Amino acid sequence: MKKFFALLTSLLLVERNLYAAEAGMPQLDPEYWPSQVFWLIIIFLTIYILISKIFIPKIKGSIDMREDKIRKDLEEAKTFREQAELKLKEYNSLMETAKIDVKKIISKSRQKLNEDMRIKREDAQKKIDAEILNAETEIKKFKVDSFNKVNLISQDIVSNLIKDIFGEDLNKSSIEASVLQTIKEYEKGK
Amino acid sequence: MATNPMEQFKVHKIGPEIEVSGINLSFTNASLFMVISAGLILVLLLFGTRQKKLVPGKIQLISEMLYNFISKMISDTAGKKAKPFFPFIFSLFVFILFCNMVGMLPYSFTVTSHIIVTLTFALFIFVGVTILGFVMHGFKYLKIFIPSGVPIVLLPIISIIEIISYLSRPISLSVRLFANMMAGHTMLKVFGGFVISLGLIGGWLPLSFSVALTGLEILVAFLQAYVFAILTCIYLNDALNLHH
Repeated sequence: MKKFFALLTSLLLVERNLYAAEAGMPQLDPEYWPSQVFWLIIIFLTIYILISKIFIPKIKGSIDMREDKIRKDLEEAKTFREQAELKLKEYNSLMETAKIDVKKIISKSRQKLNEDMRIKREDAQKKIDAEILNAETEIKKFKVDSFNKVNLISQDIVSNLIKDIFGEDLNKSSIEASVLQTIKEYEKGK
Repeated sequence: MATNPMEQFKVHKIGPEIEVSGINLSFTNASLFMVISAGLILVLLLFGTRQKKLVPGKIQLISEMLYNFISKMISDTAGKKAKPFFPFIFSLFVFILFCNMVGMLPYSFTVTSHIIVTLTFALFIFVGVTILGFVMHGFKYLKIFIPSGVPIVLLPIISIIEIISYLSRPISLSVRLFANMMAGHTMLKVFGGFVISLGLIGGWLPLSFSVALTGLEILVAFLQAYVFAILTCIYLNDALNLHH
């Protein structure tokens, strides 16, 4: 708005002094118009030719170069990424097979371990069984032995007692039978 | 006010008087500042393109940003067909931008604040675009004055309006730039004058205005260059892609 007023005042000034432009707007004084047009054409033509022939191709060249470089770099990056992805796939498959192998090895070793343990346990069991059997036979033998000994001892005692009391020897086989009878009765009563 | 705010727009010759068949073509302060602007452009582009670095330096970045900016502007408004006119639009934008910016320096001269300069550009663009339109489309180019989908009753009026608007293009294009530049610089000068006349006590207010206006004028300097270039692109688009 202020600008507009300034323009208005200057235009008013111009109107007042339209035929004496020096006093108002020097722009409307035609004295130097040809000169200005002439120099404008020369100078603008010069920079136009210089810009269009030298500078624009140069700037375009450097921009194109940069875009080329960026494009190439992007392509390179793309190929690198593809390679990296391939490698990753390879790695993953390797890992996959390795995992399977590991599982196999683990299960195998576990089987083997179990087998070993089973065998050892069986061996131990056999040994224990044998020991138990031995001990049992020994015990049985011992039992029978002790029974026979007790039998003999009781027969001896009985025959001695009879001899002491009655002064005579009794038939050995009848003593034996009666002792056995008593023992049997005793065992029964027990 | 100490001095006439319009005095900054005065053109005076520098050096000898050059006259070719009665026409005064002397080198003036306006020509000097055209040369300075052109020189700055060339220096910028020279340093910007001296070495093609993959990672650009500051000046190279500026020139490449300019390139991309204008390239995008053209492709957005005028499409692919306007590619051959890229150097022209580039030169036009850069030249007007630098003239405007150089004009922002104190005691300098603003080339684009002269109607004759902007009118030269505008007329050249107008004539060029019109010739281009006829070359591309022959007499079908006249279709530009007949918008599609308009009732036949309204067609004569609309066509007349279209013709007037088409013919006023160079005027609107040139006056827009010239008036913006002139008004801004006049305002700056007026406020500068106030600073002096109000002195140490009252001068701070116009000074602050001056500072704010300088910022605004720098924006306007860029914006008007952009508007000039983009309108040129739009006119080019009308001539290249006839789609009325």
